[in-house]
Amino acid sequence: MVAVDLPLPRRPGETEEAVAVPAWVRVFDAGLACCAVEVSAALRRYASKLPGEAAVNVLVVAGTVTDKLAPLVQAAYRDLPGPRRVLSFGACSNSGGPYWDSYCVTKGADQLIPVDVYVPGCPPRPEALIHGLRLLLTGAGDRP
Amino acid sequence: MTGAQLLAGAARHLPSARCAAEEGTVTMEVPREDWLTALTFARDTAGCDFFDWLTAVDEQDHGLAVVVHLYSIEDQQHLFVRTLVPPDDPVLPTATPLFRGAAWAERETHEMFGVVFEGHPDLVPLLLPQGFEGHPLRKDFPLAARATQDWPGAREPGERAASARSRRRLVPPGVPEGWPPA
Amino acid sequence: MNGSDLDAGHLPPRSRGVIALLEENCTVCMLCARECPDWCIYIESHKQTVLAPDAGRPRVRNVLDRFAIDFSLCMYCGICIEVCPYDALFWSPEFGYPETAIAGLTHERDRLRDWMQTVPPPPAHDPGAPPPREAQAASPGAGPAG
Repeated sequence: MVAVDLPLPRRPGETEEAVAVPAWVRVFDAGLACCAVEVSAALRRYASKLPGEAAVNVLVVAGTVTDKLAPLVQAAYRDLPGPRRVLSFGACSNSGGPYWDSYCVTKGADQLIPVDVYVPGCPPRPEALIHGLRLLLTGAGDRP
Repeated sequence: MTGAQLLAGAARHLPSARCAAEEGTVTMEVPREDWLTALTFARDTAGCDFFDWLTAVDEQDHGLAVVVHLYSIEDQQHLFVRTLVPPDDPVLPTATPLFRGAAWAERETHEMFGVVFEGHPDLVPLLLPQGFEGHPLRKDFPLAARATQDWPGAREPGERAASARSRRRLVPPGVPEGWPPA
Repeated sequence: MNGSDLDAGHLPPRSRGVIALLEENCTVCMLCARECPDWCIYIESHKQTVLAPDAGRPRVRNVLDRFAIDFSLCMYCGICIEVCPYDALFWSPEFGYPETAIAGLTHERDRLRDWMQTVPPPPAHDPGAPPPREAQAASPGAGPAG
């Protein structure tokens, strides 16, 4: 799992004040399945060098969480230093998705760790990750 | 070996085998006791030295069919070798002495179907979590989630709630007849 | 980095972002709910007897009470849209609708209607394509368009 620093891009015409929150996040991509490709595409397109400390560490759970892998997802969250948030990317991570009926799939990452933002899609577009991160920084609470 | 040579070779070396040939593919069905003989013939005599996969098919009352897909890179010839193990004694000798790559395939087949591969160096579950009970890919292991969850399509158009008095009891696709049991 | 990529305007036709419902077309046939592989469409309805002013006898129609799609389960296969016989469901390319609570990913009738505003007009047929069935039925024996 690699840490990638991300400045949040602005829409055309959007000013600095419009996104009046720390505009840098450090993204930890827990890419478990196909959604990992979309997250990689987003990070590749939008990541750059962070000129200082990231304001918040974000664990992005992207892909199907199988029962066998569940303890590792919990460990990844436990070992993430604060301030930390969790973003669930894609249907499988939100609720089990198309595999909700499987004998070995956890029905959503929120069964294991607290999730702050859910990004829907199967898979979501890379830009949907950016939308999710913007919501995370503007709407999330102040959990340590 | 080409397909025709394979069939001829099998007739000579494996008299108990039943073979069928299609375009570029030969399927060989052998009794359980000739399993290793058949695989040895396939690798050493027929030149099918590439092990692709090994899995099982639940034939229910007939038993469990174990299938191996082998391939000859030189002759571009596919070979399926099948055998049937009885449901009350699903034991088969391991193919790992012949094909090292069969080790993980046999572990997966063991945990998913319950086939015991005698002589396997490390027959422990591969994909299922610790403490998982049952063999999920057997036909009598139902997908409990679909059977117990309320199906949104069970209602008739205009019906307020799914009632037991519906003229025909709609069953969602994928749920076996008679499940969940009363 | 291109900020305009955050919007759905530039996406190709028939992009699958979210599903919109045109309630007026829905007859509550339940086909979408039955065919959905994920079971993520929730429909509730009741029957209503309607006496039209000039009609000879009263008719019974289905009235939609609830139509919801749970986008936390949806895999965007489009089977519901393809199977709907009355063109009540449409693709929209909008993709930016994350939520902080998972219940917010279940969109009810009003939100599904709002998505209709983002549904683009259908793209033109490819050159050389046969004419649509409606045009063929209207004038039988007409040759291919263009």
